[in-house]
Amino acid sequence: MLSIKNLHACVENKQILNGLNLEIKAGEVHAIMGPNGSGKSTLSQVLAGNEAFDVTAGEVTFNGDNLLDLATEERAREGIFLAFQYPVEIPGVSNLQFLRTSVNAMRKHHGIEDMNAAEFMKLAKEVSKQVDLDPAFLKRGVNEGFSGGEKKRNEVMQALLLQPKLAILDETDSGLDIDALKVVADGVNALRASDRAILMITHYQRLLDHIVPDYVHVLSEGKIIRSGGPELALELEAKGYGWLGIEDQAAANHG
Amino acid sequence: MKSASTLSSAFLQPAGQALPAALLTLRFDRASALANLILPTRKTENWKYSAKHLKLTDDMASTLPMNASAETAADNSSYTVVLVNGIVRPESSNYPTLEGLSIQRFSDLSEDDAALAADLLSKSISDQPAKSGSVNLSQLNGARFEDGLLIQLQPGLILSKPLFVIHHTTANHSGSAYPCILVAAGNNSQFTLVEDYVSSGNCSVMVNTTTEFSLGDGANVTSVRLNTEGQTVQHMGTTGVRQQRSSRFESHSVGFGGTLRRHDLHVRLEGEGAECKLNGVVVTQGTQHYDNHTTIEHVAANCNSEETYRNIAADKSHAVFNGRIHIHQDAQKSNANMSNKNLLLTSGAEIDTKPELEIYADDVLCAHGATIGQLDKESIFYLVSRGLSPRDAKVLLTMAFINELVDQIPVEQVRNTAHTGLNRFFDQAFQEV
Ligand SMILES: Nc1ncnc2c1ncn2[C@@H]1O[C@H](COP(=O)(O)OP(=O)(O)O)[C@@H](O)[C@H]1O
Ligand SMILES: [Mg+2]
Repeated sequence: MLSIKNLHACVENKQILNGLNLEIKAGEVHAIMGPNGSGKSTLSQVLAGNEAFDVTAGEVTFNGDNLLDLATEERAREGIFLAFQYPVEIPGVSNLQFLRTSVNAMRKHHGIEDMNAAEFMKLAKEVSKQVDLDPAFLKRGVNEGFSGGEKKRNEVMQALLLQPKLAILDETDSGLDIDALKVVADGVNALRASDRAILMITHYQRLLDHIVPDYVHVLSEGKIIRSGGPELALELEAKGYGWLGIEDQAAANHG
Repeated sequence: MKSASTLSSAFLQPAGQALPAALLTLRFDRASALANLILPTRKTENWKYSAKHLKLTDDMASTLPMNASAETAADNSSYTVVLVNGIVRPESSNYPTLEGLSIQRFSDLSEDDAALAADLLSKSISDQPAKSGSVNLSQLNGARFEDGLLIQLQPGLILSKPLFVIHHTTANHSGSAYPCILVAAGNNSQFTLVEDYVSSGNCSVMVNTTTEFSLGDGANVTSVRLNTEGQTVQHMGTTGVRQQRSSRFESHSVGFGGTLRRHDLHVRLEGEGAECKLNGVVVTQGTQHYDNHTTIEHVAANCNSEETYRNIAADKSHAVFNGRIHIHQDAQKSNANMSNKNLLLTSGAEIDTKPELEIYADDVLCAHGATIGQLDKESIFYLVSRGLSPRDAKVLLTMAFINELVDQIPVEQVRNTAHTGLNRFFDQAFQEV
């Protein structure tokens, strides 16, 4: 489904991804772990098409298409979904209007007629209950005044609503308490399907207790330096990143 | 140094429509006072940004056809008076004969009513001499009007439907029109006046308007002003408002840019406990220009004013907001709030905003804020990453900026017209290449 070869990317002239390779097939769940600043979010933003990041070398194909040639909205309509690490607050734009425009943009792309307001409302209420969000939030501004946990659940809610082919979850587990983590994990597990792939980016092992990945990769300085099965995450948890000869850049910066 | 240019005398020669004597006298006096008026330049304080767009050549002085008619859509949800080139068209108008309501064109006024109209005009804010360093071009209206409307509401009258005054400008040559509306709203009367400025044809014309409201004690008047005139129309409008005790005035304006658009809104809170709420939305694109000047005078104590203006400028257009709040010495316990937020859609657009506060009372609450920003790139990316087209994403974000003001317009038909105009604006401003 997704094939990344030798990907190099920079932001503001700073090289961040340094030859990243990754193959993801339909039905698989991959986890990418790595210290702060290793380039996890950069990878997710580059895949979603954020123009603030420049791809300087390498290629990415998605279901055979050259992903990097597609505009952001085309990637989304083709089935790429990114749950943002830091979802943006957009006061004044109602969730309802935003989500309905989004759903209908996807449908139009696939030659399906618009969903009417009533149908949409029903669906939106269903998925918001699935992630334990009060449907009243649909009337509020996009992420406006949401707590950290609500923002993350809102991202998962959108994934459930849009049913993407590839869901990239950027630290969707961070900042959640145990109960919220369970809700988010249930939502993600509900997304698991044989025709869908999931790429989970996480800093910690704890999400992986709930969502067992097929593969785990360790990212360091913009490259995948180790890949393995779920046991790799446990080993990392036990031994720390130092075990692989890398240091947590954020920790180092603070220390 | 080039000598200052003065107003051509061609602008001071009315066409001679029949009018009551009191109004003819007043008009003659106004014209005499304007002889040799020095025209504004960029050094003129209240025309700093707009003087370069002014076109007052002799051809602009000629009177536009006074017998032209214009199609208007009849609509039962409102009353309508149509003016074409500043002249009232009774055959296209539709309003009721209601006890306590009088809507008359100037030429039909009795001697008493003409005296009232002349009195309102002579006290009108548009006819006040300009502050030093400024030029008041709205005075031209007083020197040139050929017709106008006197609207009187007797005390206690409540008009349930909005009254639309449709100002249509149409011409096959350059020239100017000077529509004038005077409103005397008696104590505790209530109504909504919609002024809709439209035009047809591509000639270079000027529309110079005066609207004057006088609100008695407890009167409640809503003024809606919509400007969708064509690109070639120079529009200079002045609205003056005088409010007596416990009256309430609300204004909603939606303006689309043109070669020159200028609106001066001046509210005087003269009676204790009066309040006003002024909302304005302006969008400009291409090389359009729009200049809003507002003044709120707190003359009496215990009055409230709340002002919210939003400008959105695209392409190489230019929007100006100048908001003055003047709190007189006796206006203790005044409460004044002014907010002006601006959105630049391109780096080539320009927005200038200037709050001016003059406060002579010591016990007042006065807050003001002005910002100029752009659409947030991260927000656009977030929306587009969910499959929205960049256009739709930008429209949502731009509408978020003005939704609140558009939604508050109390007349559905005007909200619809505003949305239609805004969609046309977005289609051009957010063209996908
Ligand atoms: N918009 C940006 N501008 C400048 N530097 C950035 C930007 N985004 C990320 N970086 C830098 O790129 C590096 C990788 O960041 P990121 O991809 O967010 O790492 P991670 O998600 O693994 O913590 C960090 O050093 C970060 O400071
Ligand atoms: Mg990150």
